[in-house]
Amino acid sequence: MFRIPRFLAPTTTVHAHCDLPCGIYDPEQARIEAESCYKIIEKMGANDDKTFTARAIGIKEQRADLAKHHLDVLWHDYFKPEHLDKVPNLHELFWNATKQVSKVKASTDIADARKLLDLIDEIDAAWKATGGEEKTRVAGRPA
Amino acid sequence: MSDSEPRREAGLRRVLGMRRAASLRARLAGPWRVAVTESSMAPAIRSGDWLLVDPTTARWPRRGSIVVFREPDSDLLAIKRLAAGPGERVDLDEGHLILDSDEAWLLSDATDAELLAVGAGQPIDSRRYGPVPVELLVGRAWFRYGPLTRVGRLAGKPPVSGTRD
Repeated sequence: MFRIPRFLAPTTTVHAHCDLPCGIYDPEQARIEAESCYKIIEKMGANDDKTFTARAIGIKEQRADLAKHHLDVLWHDYFKPEHLDKVPNLHELFWNATKQVSKVKASTDIADARKLLDLIDEIDAAWKATGGEEKTRVAGRPA
Repeated sequence: MSDSEPRREAGLRRVLGMRRAASLRARLAGPWRVAVTESSMAPAIRSGDWLLVDPTTARWPRRGSIVVFREPDSDLLAIKRLAAGPGERVDLDEGHLILDSDEAWLLSDATDAELLAVGAGQPIDSRRYGPVPVELLVGRAWFRYGPLTRVGRLAGKPPVSGTRD
């Protein structure tokens, strides 16, 4: 069979590239950050020290940003159009949860943080309903 | 111009102007033949395709052309399709932007859904790193010479399935 002579082989490789997802997703990642926010608000209520309050606010905002990032990754990368059959309110759920993170970021009301945890739990249920636990952890969640 | 310079060099400079002579020499070094890896340009260009590149182009070619360039963020040699050229308008989710006189908007052909189907993530293109300045242009890919079953000129426009916003 005719082959392209070796000296005509390409000299360089060019990349038509895209993200390479690792395929590991778990709403727990967002929940842990959201729990941090919850606990920080709780501690802020029990401490009036100005320095403590200033630090707590800064850390809470960082944690809230992380929670939002993890939720975005789940929404964009884990969930796929076919999952809408099992979770018809998926987009509304993420819309509400990410909006709620913004609220928690600015709020010192523990009820806001509680509501965020509840919303993440709903996302967790959606993740489980679509087989996330079997498919997107190495060996399910640790017992 | 000093007397010690080789005459040919001096002549080239006189004809083309100093900056263009220098950049032309760099461009003649290539690359002229490239191999493609990864699949964000599918189905027009697939991983493993061997392409001929014209590295002498110093300007962005016309819209729809396939170009090899250095990626702004990583300096990696990348291949994408020119979706909009200098001075043209790019529509974004929120508003639009008008490209500068030396900028192009470079996009992948493959849709997000097509990439997910093959287990890849979101394409990395101008939607990630913005407009690309002409200094980063390496050349225009114009012909596929391997694999032999798919030899031919590269189409100037994306196929319908790859059309993007």
